[in-house]
Amino acid sequence: MASAGNTAATDVAGVAYSDFGHVLAQRERRFATLLLAPAFLALLATTTFPLLFLIYTSAYRMDLSMPFLNGFVGLENYKVLLSDDRFWHSLVVSLVYTISTVILQVIVGLALALFVMNMKRGQGWFRVIAILPVVLSPAVVGMIWRTFMLAPEFGIIDYLAISAGLGSKNWLGDPFLAMVSVVVIHTWQWTPFAFMVLLASLASLPEDIYEAARIDRASAWQRFRRITLPLLRPAIVMVIIMRTMVALTAFAAIFTVTGGGPGTATEILNLYAYRKSFTELSIGYGSALAVALLIVTVIISAILFAIRRGK
Amino acid sequence: MSARGQVVFKDIWKKHGEFVALKNVNFEIEPGEFFALLGPSGSGKSTTLRILAGLDAPTAGQVFIDGKDVTGADAAERDVAMVFQSYALYPHMTVAENISFPLEMAKMPKAEIAPAVFDAARKVKIEHLLDRRPGQLSGGQQQRCALARAIVRKARLFLLDEPLSNLDAKLRLETRVELKKLQRSLGMTAVYVTHDQEEAMTLADRMAVFMAGEIQQIGTPEEVFAKPNSIDIAGFIGNPPMNLVQAKYQDGDVFLGGHKFETTMQAAGSRDVVAGIRPGAIRLGGDGLQSRVDLVEHLGDTAVLDLDIGGALMRVRVSDENVPKEGDTVAITARPQDIHLFDSQTRMRLS
Repeated sequence: MASAGNTAATDVAGVAYSDFGHVLAQRERRFATLLLAPAFLALLATTTFPLLFLIYTSAYRMDLSMPFLNGFVGLENYKVLLSDDRFWHSLVVSLVYTISTVILQVIVGLALALFVMNMKRGQGWFRVIAILPVVLSPAVVGMIWRTFMLAPEFGIIDYLAISAGLGSKNWLGDPFLAMVSVVVIHTWQWTPFAFMVLLASLASLPEDIYEAARIDRASAWQRFRRITLPLLRPAIVMVIIMRTMVALTAFAAIFTVTGGGPGTATEILNLYAYRKSFTELSIGYGSALAVALLIVTVIISAILFAIRRGK
Repeated sequence: MSARGQVVFKDIWKKHGEFVALKNVNFEIEPGEFFALLGPSGSGKSTTLRILAGLDAPTAGQVFIDGKDVTGADAAERDVAMVFQSYALYPHMTVAENISFPLEMAKMPKAEIAPAVFDAARKVKIEHLLDRRPGQLSGGQQQRCALARAIVRKARLFLLDEPLSNLDAKLRLETRVELKKLQRSLGMTAVYVTHDQEEAMTLADRMAVFMAGEIQQIGTPEEVFAKPNSIDIAGFIGNPPMNLVQAKYQDGDVFLGGHKFETTMQAAGSRDVVAGIRPGAIRLGGDGLQSRVDLVEHLGDTAVLDLDIGGALMRVRVSDENVPKEGDTVAITARPQDIHLFDSQTRMRLS
């Protein structure tokens, strides 16, 4: 009996002890929740709620020019979207824009990083100057290019083209040149980002393995191909992922430079959704376009992350 | 097979701006020799190796390998292999890929690479680790991988830059022995940089001792140990190093702490000298210099005593029998041939 009583006593003590720990943990959790709450609520209000509202809106016909026709239409907007040539066209423009800008950023950024790594002096200055475009607002960048660089006769680029004997070009009026221009502008602004990331990664590579490679009789190209590129791979993949997500949702620079024109030559999906919603005031259909863009972005980033994890 | 790998350094200078890293370095290495470059850190031994490898260019002078002037040739053109202090393994490649890299660069046919890689890995006992990456290996295994990468190509020169300094003490001793056996069995010329005089003494056929950018002595380990050229080398070689004390020389004898020691020198006259006696060459007892035992260090089979001789410190290695106690007074003597005399001005050997 005595021994049984004893066990009971320790049990009680044990329960009391774990209760005390439980209370502490609960208090800690309550405090953590309190600290987290403001940020969490702000996020909820500015991202989650608009997103849900967007999906909700995309299931309605909401036309500010013809409000009498508004009402719930279910998946009708999406059905229209799938047979909308302009939607498919804008999706293709988006993909061309994204792929070409990302590839250019990585190639030019890597070339610049390799060049700067081998600079004996002036590295610091080069970095400061190179980073300038990134700190500008994309809308400002767009205005600079439209007026200062590409304006017929007076713009720097056009002046150079004339001096080179190519003649004055209608940089933003010709569909093909307009696409080239917006790709170049985006690349101009964002290559410094790729440059900085790749330069930091390059600088962290150990020097001795390059000496070992020289003694192993690898040529400069073989050292780049077999050592530098594989070691930079994680940084390059990270740059591709981050720049792809941003390029897919680009807006301000194209909006200020071409407004999607001429016609729909530079009308990326984002711009089409904007025009539908706020120019044609067809909010419901515009929402469906925005959701489509969201789905495309999620799918592409899922693929990129899968590639990153796979290798 | 070992007729390759002869090295000549002729009047080599290396300057970094005002700083002179190497002053007129000259030496020759015979094919098949194990040659050590020994010296304290900053003495120029690593710079010498880098110039030999072709990683750095000398400011003046010429380097010959097998009779050919390679002074201006890049590392890739010299057909040398090197083991770096940091190992410098390619982190993104497996052990097998690391070892096969020099063969691929030499454009060896694919079919011959795999057996050559396995063979090199077997020689350093890492054939079971071929699929691992350097990050998954211990320090000792990484060191072996670097060795395998260096021996796989059968280069004419095998350069080692402090290859054992990152290993723990026990592994270092084991690897030292294996390294010597490996070099013997492959019959290749090895140039070995180290700051550890014990490593140089045990491994090298001959060695060059560097002090402040200059070679002060070249010789077999026995020669350098028995007849150090200068005070600096005498104080650097041996463990514990040679005792060096100010003394007075007169007509063939030297006076230490007021006591007369006979020397092998015959010259008449009187002058100030620095006398050197190896700790192991000092005998206790007899009619000698009286000195007090300050400290006793027991090392197992021997003991090292710190003696106070008229204010100067002298260390003595004795066998474990009859070790005096701290505070005891002992008499010390030394044979004439064990007393080295150096000029206190030029710091060079007199006898």
